[in-house]
Amino acid sequence: MSAVYCFHCHEPVPSGTSFLLEFDARQRQFCCAGCLAVADTIISSNLADYYRFRTEPASRANAIPKELEAELSSFDAPQVLEDISNKQGELTELELSISGMSCAACAWLIEKQLRQLPAVHQVNVNSTTQRCHLLWRADTTPLSGILKSLASIGYQASPFIADQEEQVFKLELSRYLKRLAVSGIMTMQVMMLAVALYFGEYTGIDASHQGYLRWISLLLTLPVVLYAALPFVSSAWRSVKARQMNMDVPVSLAIYYTFFASAYATAFSTGEVYFESVCMFTFLLQLGKFFEYRARSRARDATSNLLKIMPVTATLLKNDEQQAVSARRLQSGDCILVKPGETIAADGQIISGQSSADESMLTGEYAPVSKNIGDLVMAGSINHDGLLQVNVSKPLASSRLGQIIALQQRTLSQKPAVLQRTDRLAKYFVERLLIIAAATFVLWYFWLDADRAFWVTLSVLVATCPCALSLATPTAITCALARLNRSGILIKNAQVLDVLPELTHIVFDKTGTLTEGRFSVSDVTLFSSDYSEEQALNLIANLEAYSEHPIGRAFSSSLSTKLALEQVNIVVGSGISAQFNSRQIKVGSAAFCAVTPQAKAMVYLCADNQLIAAVSLHDALRQEVPALVSQLQQQGYQLLMLTGDSSDQADKLQQQLGFNQMIKGCSPEQKVAEITNLVSAGHKVLMLGDGINDSPSFHAAHVSVAMQSGTDLSKNQADVVLLQHDIGLIATLLQGSKAAQRGIRQNLAWSVGYNLIIIPLAVAGFVSPYIAVIGMSFSSLLVVSNSLRLLK
Amino acid sequence: MSVIYVLIPIAILFVLIGLAVFFWAVRSRQFEDLDKEGFSILFDEKTVANKDKQDPPAP
Repeated sequence: MSAVYCFHCHEPVPSGTSFLLEFDARQRQFCCAGCLAVADTIISSNLADYYRFRTEPASRANAIPKELEAELSSFDAPQVLEDISNKQGELTELELSISGMSCAACAWLIEKQLRQLPAVHQVNVNSTTQRCHLLWRADTTPLSGILKSLASIGYQASPFIADQEEQVFKLELSRYLKRLAVSGIMTMQVMMLAVALYFGEYTGIDASHQGYLRWISLLLTLPVVLYAALPFVSSAWRSVKARQMNMDVPVSLAIYYTFFASAYATAFSTGEVYFESVCMFTFLLQLGKFFEYRARSRARDATSNLLKIMPVTATLLKNDEQQAVSARRLQSGDCILVKPGETIAADGQIISGQSSADESMLTGEYAPVSKNIGDLVMAGSINHDGLLQVNVSKPLASSRLGQIIALQQRTLSQKPAVLQRTDRLAKYFVERLLIIAAATFVLWYFWLDADRAFWVTLSVLVATCPCALSLATPTAITCALARLNRSGILIKNAQVLDVLPELTHIVFDKTGTLTEGRFSVSDVTLFSSDYSEEQALNLIANLEAYSEHPIGRAFSSSLSTKLALEQVNIVVGSGISAQFNSRQIKVGSAAFCAVTPQAKAMVYLCADNQLIAAVSLHDALRQEVPALVSQLQQQGYQLLMLTGDSSDQADKLQQQLGFNQMIKGCSPEQKVAEITNLVSAGHKVLMLGDGINDSPSFHAAHVSVAMQSGTDLSKNQADVVLLQHDIGLIATLLQGSKAAQRGIRQNLAWSVGYNLIIIPLAVAGFVSPYIAVIGMSFSSLLVVSNSLRLLK
Repeated sequence: MSVIYVLIPIAILFVLIGLAVFFWAVRSRQFEDLDKEGFSILFDEKTVANKDKQDPPAP
């Protein structure tokens, strides 16, 4: 018989267990008591539709441990709640970050579950950002009650403090959508009327009908000019005030000049109207801006659970009494209690207890650091297994974590300026164009034909209308962004496409970037012939499956057959023991297995107190790295590795890969200094990293790239995020940027060439406004379709 | 052809209604999470309502 899978989480059901529940007239099997309890709650609360419509299995539900319940209630302290939520009259408003969401059906399930609570006033779950916006009466149901209700259907939620910037972003995005809709829908209407007018020109049209259609077009163009095109005008106005003409100046000029000329023609029933050009032009430019903005906001959404690492609560010890307080209010000299699994809330010194801490958030190294009395701990690191009392030495804001974030904000303003070639071109072009137009008007008005002066000037402005020129870069960039996005590269700052083709240096971080960033089995030493290597690893994997420890995950790929274990017992921080085939099996540290430690080995396997195997673990190199490194070196890039790791693994990697330069044991400040040196020497630098310790250097480099597996902070700061677990995408990115640059050059060459030919003709009066508009539309179309080639 | 004096204003009216609906949709956050909205049609109170109907009315 094939393996049975859990109805809730679709993981295999271990043999010998029996968790059953009837649903839709069939007995369903579950893998553990946790999943069974969750499914029971879901079905009995009439939410079983979730199982009928979900597209992804749920994540495995673990029964809520008693400690977690206690931890949740620390959010109920009025002081803590005040720091994480907003009061709205009697209601409290809060944002929750939810883990365990796998598909959109989860969003529905959570909304339904919370709406059943009488205290909940409003709830809105976003399945892409995995966040929940909640409005409820905190005096009737405490926050811990809501979190428990979520835990009972298998989701872990924690309060989240959204930064203000994000609110602004959301508001702006919906404005973009509205403008896009206005210009898009109006363009369709006006185009339709324009077709009627065009045909009227050829087949004859009543003057009254023509006037009517023109007035209607004018009316429909008004919202486009007065609402949708506003961002261009305000940007143009800013640039004029700053005496730094940008591309928005000719864009606004073109929009408004063409509009007013057409309005004049409509009002006095003379000349030509170009309302459809005004609308289409605005729409196309809005579309490009919208795509860029949406890519940025999507990147933010996916990565902005940034403040999650900032500890929210702490347990303050005062006169031997425990008190839940807000982490932000801790003072130096306070004594806090840190329970196993909690985030340490402040920098400080251990005064009692011993444990190990995961400092990977701050240092980028994954191996836990053991901590004893007198050792220093850092805010943001995670306490693994022991109960600690910590004497706070610095409040959160001036802690190491707070400093790294501050360092980042400082470097933000020092980002090397990117050359804005098109903007310089635009400035040059606009100035010349205005002079030529003015000269044309004067020339015709005083010397040639005063009656035609206005229309000739108009055709000069329309024909040379910088449409093609201003569409040349944005359309090419939009298409290149879309193309790269499809292959898994999210570009948050479109300017990087300008810099990438000139790149000379690529700087890599080691842990998590060149390496997998997690442990895997490197070496197994057998001490007994009872088990083969495969069997021993399988046995370890079976025991480790009960553990949540990061080391346990190293063995998950070794799990080949499920063994019937009995009396599984987890000793936190040491290992796991179990009965198998009536033998006492132990997996864990040397001390736990009571054996003499072997060199380098980290995990030991014992049966009946006899050593069977010693396993050493390492952080393995990503498969695609050697090929990528040699490819990049062939293309002539200088490659550097800056790593915070000071062990000999860095040297080994250097020997294997042969970087041009390698510096180990770098602090975040040193990384920034190294990159700043390169930048000031005139090189164009790309930084690729994943940790919080890399993010300050992201701003020092011209282009920064973060890994999807990286910390949220680094993804939030980077210009580019690689959405797949494959750093080979760097090569795709470089290639894509070169293609984009080629596209831009072709577009610019065409539009500049076209303008050079048409301007003399228009000044001489050979181009009627009608032909001018055809020429303009044709060159715009050509530029747009050339850009579309980049999509392929 | 004088019918266009009536028809075009009506068409514009429809355009305005369409725009108003779109603005409302944007304002009520329907574009923030397109995945969830796609699912919302599958889940409604129907199953609960059906169940109520199937249950024999309480005496």
